[in-house]
Amino acid sequence: MPKKTINQKIAELDELTNWFYSEDFSLDQATEKYKAAVKLAKEIEEDLKSLKNEIAVIDKDFTKE
Amino acid sequence: MEEPRFSVSEFIDVVNQTLDYAYPSTLVEGEVSEFKINQGKWVFFNLKEDDNSLSCFMPLFQLKIPLEDGMKVVVRGRPKLTKWGKFSFTAQQIMPVGEGSIKKAYEMLKKKLAAEGLFDAARKRPLPRDLTKIGVISSTGAAGYADFCKIVNARWGGLKIQTAHTQVQGMDAPAQIIRALKYFNEKSEVQLIAIIRGGGSADDLSCFNDEALAREIAASKIPVITGIGHEVDESLADLVADLRGSTPSNVAELITPDKTAILATVSQNIKSARSQFCQALIISYDTLNHYRDNLKDGLKAKLSQADTHLSEQITRLNGTILQHLNTLSSHAADAVSGARRTLLTKLNAEIEKNESAIKMVERLNPELVLKQGYSIISGKLAPGENVEITTLNQIASAEIKAIKERK
Repeated sequence: MPKKTINQKIAELDELTNWFYSEDFSLDQATEKYKAAVKLAKEIEEDLKSLKNEIAVIDKDFTKE
Repeated sequence: MEEPRFSVSEFIDVVNQTLDYAYPSTLVEGEVSEFKINQGKWVFFNLKEDDNSLSCFMPLFQLKIPLEDGMKVVVRGRPKLTKWGKFSFTAQQIMPVGEGSIKKAYEMLKKKLAAEGLFDAARKRPLPRDLTKIGVISSTGAAGYADFCKIVNARWGGLKIQTAHTQVQGMDAPAQIIRALKYFNEKSEVQLIAIIRGGGSADDLSCFNDEALAREIAASKIPVITGIGHEVDESLADLVADLRGSTPSNVAELITPDKTAILATVSQNIKSARSQFCQALIISYDTLNHYRDNLKDGLKAKLSQADTHLSEQITRLNGTILQHLNTLSSHAADAVSGARRTLLTKLNAEIEKNESAIKMVERLNPELVLKQGYSIISGKLAPGENVEITTLNQIASAEIKAIKERK
C-alpha cells in the first residue's frame, strides 16, 4: 500500500472529524473514530515537523539556446 | 608600404568586418524619431540625442515592443555600412528605458494583448492541488529568491523545488526566462512554475513587459504564478500569468499551506471532535437519566396508586372485620349472658336442692332425735348381748334379755 501524503492524511482527518457532526454519528463507533483521528493527528504533526523541502538548481545554462 | 586599395564593395565589406569585430553587439540609448514601417516588413527609425542622430533598421518580426516617436529606448544591434554608403545601426532588440517610455510601451502592449484575450479571467487556471513539485525561475543570487526559499521552508515541507537560474533584469532576461519556461514545459514534471524577482526600478523590471515572454507564459501548459517586484509593480508577465503574487514572499505564501496554521487546525479539529463526542455522551446520559426518572416517577405513581388502593382495601377490610367482630362479640355476649342465666338457674336449683338435702340431713341428725327424747341403742341386738344406750346427756350399758318381732 503506497504511503499516504500529508495532504491525504489531512483530508482523511477532516473526514473523520466531520463524521462527529454528521448524521452517521453513533456512540458505538465514536470511540474507534476518535482514536483513529488522534492517531492521524499525531502522524500529521510528526510529518509536518520532519518533512524538509528539496531545493535544487537545474544544471543548465539558460543564457544559451 | 603600399596603401591598400579596395573596390567600393570590398571597402564596404572591410568596414563592416572591422565594425563587427570592434562592436559585435552594442547597446545604444536614445530617443526614437521618424519611426516608420515599410512594406509591412521593415522598421526604420532614428535614435536621437540632442543634435546627434543614428539611423536604425530592423526586420519587423524582431520588434517586440510597440514604438512611438519620443520614446526613450535602448537598442541592441550592430553598426553597418550599407551598399549605398549610408551608415546604419541594425537593431536586434529594443527595450524602452525611463519611466515614461516604459509606461507608454507597457500600455500599448497591454492594450494589444488584452485585445487578444491573453489576460481574460477565463484563461486563468487554478493552482494544482496536492502540490509537490515546483519549478522556479529566478536569479539564485537575488534577495527575492532567498526570501522565497526561506518562507517556503518555514511554511511547508516535502516539496521538490527545481530552480532555473536566469537573469531577471536587462535585455537578455526575457530570452533566458523563455528558455527556462520551455525547459519546464518540455523536460520536467513540475506542477507549477513560479517566476520571481524582488523589487527594483522600472528599468530593472521592464524585462517582464516583453511581448514574447508574455506569450510564452500564456502558452505554458503548466500553470504559472508570478511574484515580481512589489505590490505596486505590475508587469505584463503578471497579467498573463495564472496567478499573481505581489512579491516573491507572497508567492511562497500563496503556493504553500502554513504548517503552523495546519497544526492549529488539526488540534482544533481533534478538540472539536472530542467536544462533540462528550456532548453526545452527555446527551445520552441525560436521556438515560430522563428515562430513569420517568421510570422512577412511573413506578412511584403506580406504587402510590397501589398503596392507596391497598389502604382503601385494608380500611374496607378493617370495617368488615370490625363489623363481623362486633356481630360476633354481640353474639358471644348474648351467648355468655344466656349461659350465665342458665348456669345461675341451674346453680340456684342445685343450691335449693342442696339446702333440702341439708335440711333432710339435719333432720336425720341423731342429736336432734336425742333432743326429742329418744335414745340410740348401739351393739348387736341378740339375747345376751351387751349394748350401749345413748341419751341426750347420758350413755347407759344394758343386756339384751329377749328379742321379739314388732308388728
